Amino acid sequence: MTAATTAQHRSNPLRRRQWSRRLPLLPALIFTIVVTQLPFLVTVWYSIHKWDFLKPGSFKFNGLSNYTKPFADQFFRSAAINTVIITVGTVVIASVFGTFLAVLLDKPFFGQGFVRTLLITPFLIMPVAASLIWRHGFLDATYGFFNWIVQGLGFDRIAFTSKYPLLAVVFVLVWQWTPFMMLITLSGLQSQTQEVLEAARVDGANSFQTFRSLTLPHLRPYLELGALLGSIYLLQTFDTVDQLVGGAPGARNIPYFIYQRSIGGGWRFGQASAFGVVVVIATIVLANLALRLISTLLEGDV
Amino acid sequence: MKPPRTSRTVKMAGAIVVFGLVAAGCGGSSSAPAAPETAAAPAETTATPAETVAPAETVAAPAETTPAAAASKGEITVAIVDNPTMKDIQTLTPDNFTTQTGIKVNYVSLNEQTLREQVTKSVGSGAAQYDVVMIGPYEAPQFGANGWLQDLTDMAAKDTAYDVADLIPSVKGALSNNGKMYAVPFYAESSFLMYRKDLADAAGVKIPEAPTWDEVAAAAKKLNTPDRSGICLRGKPGWGDLGAALTTTVNTFGGTWWDANADGSIGKAQVDNGGFKEATNFYVDLLKTAGEPDAANASFNECLKLMQDSKTSMWYDATVAAGILESADSPIKGKLGYALAPTKLTKASGWLWSWALAMPEGVKDKEAAWKFMSWATSKEYIKLAGTKLPGGWAGIPPGSRTSTYAIPEYLAAAPTFAPMTLRAMQAAPIDNPGTTKRPGLPGVQYVGVPEFADVGTRCTAEISAAIAGTQSVDEALKKCQAIASEATTG
Amino acid sequence: MAKQQRIVGERRWVSTASGVLAWFMAFLFFFPVLWMVASSFKTEISAQTEKPNLKFDGGLERFQDVSKNLPGTVTFLKALATSGFVVIVSTIIVLLLAIPAAYTLAIRPIPKWRNVLMFFISTKFLPIAAAILPLYTIFKKIGILDTRLVLVIAYTSMNLPLAVWMLRSFFAEVPRELIEAAEIDGATFFQRLRTILLPIVMPGVSATALLCFIFAWNEFFLAVNLTTFRAQTIPIWVTTMISTRGQFLAKLSAASTLACLPVVIAGWAAQKRLVRGLTMGAIK
Repeated sequence: MTAATTAQHRSNPLRRRQWSRRLPLLPALIFTIVVTQLPFLVTVWYSIHKWDFLKPGSFKFNGLSNYTKPFADQFFRSAAINTVIITVGTVVIASVFGTFLAVLLDKPFFGQGFVRTLLITPFLIMPVAASLIWRHGFLDATYGFFNWIVQGLGFDRIAFTSKYPLLAVVFVLVWQWTPFMMLITLSGLQSQTQEVLEAARVDGANSFQTFRSLTLPHLRPYLELGALLGSIYLLQTFDTVDQLVGGAPGARNIPYFIYQRSIGGGWRFGQASAFGVVVVIATIVLANLALRLISTLLEGDV
Repeated sequence: MKPPRTSRTVKMAGAIVVFGLVAAGCGGSSSAPAAPETAAAPAETTATPAETVAPAETVAAPAETTPAAAASKGEITVAIVDNPTMKDIQTLTPDNFTTQTGIKVNYVSLNEQTLREQVTKSVGSGAAQYDVVMIGPYEAPQFGANGWLQDLTDMAAKDTAYDVADLIPSVKGALSNNGKMYAVPFYAESSFLMYRKDLADAAGVKIPEAPTWDEVAAAAKKLNTPDRSGICLRGKPGWGDLGAALTTTVNTFGGTWWDANADGSIGKAQVDNGGFKEATNFYVDLLKTAGEPDAANASFNECLKLMQDSKTSMWYDATVAAGILESADSPIKGKLGYALAPTKLTKASGWLWSWALAMPEGVKDKEAAWKFMSWATSKEYIKLAGTKLPGGWAGIPPGSRTSTYAIPEYLAAAPTFAPMTLRAMQAAPIDNPGTTKRPGLPGVQYVGVPEFADVGTRCTAEISAAIAGTQSVDEALKKCQAIASEATTG
Repeated sequence: MAKQQRIVGERRWVSTASGVLAWFMAFLFFFPVLWMVASSFKTEISAQTEKPNLKFDGGLERFQDVSKNLPGTVTFLKALATSGFVVIVSTIIVLLLAIPAAYTLAIRPIPKWRNVLMFFISTKFLPIAAAILPLYTIFKKIGILDTRLVLVIAYTSMNLPLAVWMLRSFFAEVPRELIEAAEIDGATFFQRLRTILLPIVMPGVSATALLCFIFAWNEFFLAVNLTTFRAQTIPIWVTTMISTRGQFLAKLSAASTLACLPVVIAGWAAQKRLVRGLTMGAIK
């Protein structure tokens, strides 16, 4: 590729120089475009066709009629709401817990490193394994550890995963993502200069006041970064919805919904693709907002 | 950056390298992980010895010769449903099929819902990932008509040892379309009521041979205690899970998923009214008053476990369960009574299902695939299962062949449920399951139209949520009506 | 003076209390993992009881059970080999692609580098469920479904944006003068990369590699849709532990323990670097 590109631009040294600077970027860029954008174009192509996989020969152009569904479909709406609840709920709760734990970990105490090691572990656990262990070992209506506690407290057993599927999903995700938020805020805390805190203390500010007026503003970009990275992954949550609550309607989110409309049993590929395109457009709008946040994070760089 | 970092760099890089080696090292002991794709395939066949270790009771000398034979005669991949009866064939295959034929069988064992998704996706797109797939009478005629499956009629007819005429006619018929047979039954089942005779007697409950749902509900409520539920019914989403049990109930309450048009095509959805509504309310109420804990998560396997652990007194489910409950190693063997599927307005309500083996279009080694299918569904396999498995004769795959019900050992081992199974299968109202005409191909616990699977699965998820108590039955049925109506409008 | 002492005293009390609280929270968060590991040393009967117990009567039997599957099904070692291969190869490819890209974006960035970086990040927002159908049909057409190759491609594209993002942050921290000096010396791109940059950013590269490793190792959705038997990975193998005859919690726990072990150990070993990798350069 190098030879070809240089040959082409030999006549123009400036352009040639620009190209040689861009060259190292190209493999990654081309790979990403091919593997992520090409399928999306195919999705768009499918979405303007009627295509019922279970009826061979049903593939035919039908314009935009698949696009009338998404806005009227109550199940799609509830999946969208669940996605927002799962993502925002998990990010917010995990950030609060994460910050709290990071503050605890920031002060030296006996076994600090060991405690941190224990605390980060949930993030390292395979989500599928976590979902299954939580479902069968802890939240199960008969044999679950939690129900032993619930009964010990004198209450009736609770079928957590079927009665409160959305709560169960958020609960397990918070367990998994709190360590991640904690790690990020911890690095924020450790980058804070001690002099300022000391000065505030000498001025008579109590710990809470110092935390609110000095530490929290300092942590803001870290929390934003954590929220951003977390949301990217939490928006795509599938394992937990599938394996923890079996895709119960009360916890069904967008990834699960689209999966179910297409190769997860619905087999209406044309219609499902239209749902997919609508979601992509909606996420791009949302992502733009989020990306602006990244831009503020990138400020100060070159 | 400051110099000290380099030492950490080295440590970190070291950690990554060591870890890489650990992972690679573990892999290296089974096959060659670092080998390119092409080399990886042959490596798999040589990895057999470690896997062919059979359970203690079937370990035999021939196992030693397996690897050499397996390498020469090919290999097939079979997608099967994950349940106890299928576990049996997995343990019996190496010593009793691979040794004789040299064909290595890879099983992909999946739960019902996943199996259907995987098989439909793979067979329908012609991906040819599986040489043999396990499907039922819902899929076989539809997939066959779509041109997705090999027509087995000739293959079975030519194979004289196979004795195709011995297959139970209604079962074979349900797996065929326009006279072409698209799948061969491994086992077939109807549904009936199983109950603990000892507990019923102790409580003074009498269950007739052909009970009504009202009688069953009354008995369940009487037998219900804090430690043991009165009845176990399926509540897990899925058209083949909750959908099967509920649809038989709906049928006998006079309800239907859809009206049928005069030409047999799919008509108006009837989910939120009449018999459907009445049946669903009845079913959900029964589960709430006398059902198992967390019924919304329970299906065949969960109820089976509750029954074995004496945590439920009655169970309405597949007849094949009786073989497991009465097998030689079952804790409640001999304590059970059986009754036909409960009814309301119709004469019979039991379903008809078979788990059958089919060969997708585009399979390369048809001969090997048929060898496996014919072995798995043969009289010899049934004999093998009866003599070699810890469960004994009671646990053989039932309902596929007429000759099974003439085996003296089987009838001796299953005096209570074998005749009742046969009766239930003969009574299953396959052509006229309810009080009104049904659209599509024949079917009891399902509607023989392609739309049903998706509608059934999504709708049972809503009803399952009603069982869990997160919404009312009316809300669930309103959503179901929307789902079912949408399917007919395209 | 007295006030000072009181503050010191108060602080000591607070730090003791917060230490105790930290231990308590760590126990709460770690307990499910501990219980999972504990359950894997039990028999099925003592693992699944209404009243929790500490009977470790199973010894190592469950681990033997899970590593010796039913004939014909995927064994632990085979799934481990597949996962190991796919994860390591895809991580290496990610680094090979991402390092030059990050270099271009961070050191003497090209015009509009921000947009390019945004593009990479934005691909992570695409719902993978919306892309799985075309991916399936395309991969089927090429004929690579159910191979290790298909997962290598999928995982490379999954991790590449994150790797570019992280590595760019690291590269942005390299002192400009170093690179300029090298350029004056007439060093080529690869020479500059190898002799000057990589040694400096190595901790970042290894943190990135680790994170790619974790996400690829734990990936479920793509694996379940693009593979069946030949390329079954560890997460799928874990799910095969459920819905067998009778009880399965002890077996499931043993399988999960084995499945999580590599990533947990790697994560423990590199926890500090993980944070730095995520925040370094991104926040000034």
